[in-house]
Amino acid sequence: MITERISSDYVEMRFGPRWTYISCVRRFVASFFMIGLSDKERAEQISMAASELLENAVKYASEEEGYLKISIAKANNEVDVCVKNKAEPHHINTLRRELALIQAGQPEAVYLKKMEEAAMTEGQSRLGLIRILFEAGARLRLEVNDGEVSIHAIFKLEAA
Amino acid sequence: MSSERGFVPLNVDTLSIVPRLDGDTLRVAMSGAVEMRDPGDVLNPYWTLIDEEALRRNLKVVELDVRDLNFMNSSGILTLVRWITRCKSHGNAYRLVLLYDRNVTWQRASVPTLAKLAPNVVVSAGIDG
Repeated sequence: MITERISSDYVEMRFGPRWTYISCVRRFVASFFMIGLSDKERAEQISMAASELLENAVKYASEEEGYLKISIAKANNEVDVCVKNKAEPHHINTLRRELALIQAGQPEAVYLKKMEEAAMTEGQSRLGLIRILFEAGARLRLEVNDGEVSIHAIFKLEAA
Repeated sequence: MSSERGFVPLNVDTLSIVPRLDGDTLRVAMSGAVEMRDPGDVLNPYWTLIDEEALRRNLKVVELDVRDLNFMNSSGILTLVRWITRCKSHGNAYRLVLLYDRNVTWQRASVPTLAKLAPNVVVSAGIDG
């Protein structure tokens, strides 16, 4: 039984953690919000955030888990992009630390510092979350529930 | 288009890169999208080759044109950060000009920020289209 009203600006997808799906979802999200918001810049920021969150989820999703979920909802002049997946405890802890670090400073300064640090080390960029925060101007929120991680990128919309 | 050593085109997945020597300026045009899982596997060695050849030929300017690039993920951004870091370490050997389209959201957000990593040697130039 459906207990809550689904708004017209809501979309949810659930799929296996395959890299090749990400670009397809990014293009869909951009088109969807281009129509829904009539704001090309916001639609592209939302799709970039969705893409970066999905890349993280595919990289760090627990191998036993067969899917990840992206849901995007518009309500109260906000768009909430949420990517949910199972993750190992050490990845969850890394994510908590990462988020605390990037939310502690001035976004551009943190972004530049993280770029410089990343250039000096091998491996993953770890620039995705700060990119969403600084370049797209989104707010980030982390929820952990029984080994399941949800990361939200929340976009404030102009009041109508 | 120059097909001389060091300045060869690159085509991988949805990405295409075409370098063209124009006097003492090297123009490198990117098109498509950088959306691979590990773009550094191909782009880091490619940018290193471009950097080394630019030094060897004593070029004054390398222009990287990303206007036809519809997306670059953060791992792709990191490959440019690594190139900029190398370029910065050479002092004023050559100037790196990052050409972007002001009407493309990711380019308008990412490119000027990249230039701030090395303001003495990297310039971002935003144009319409």
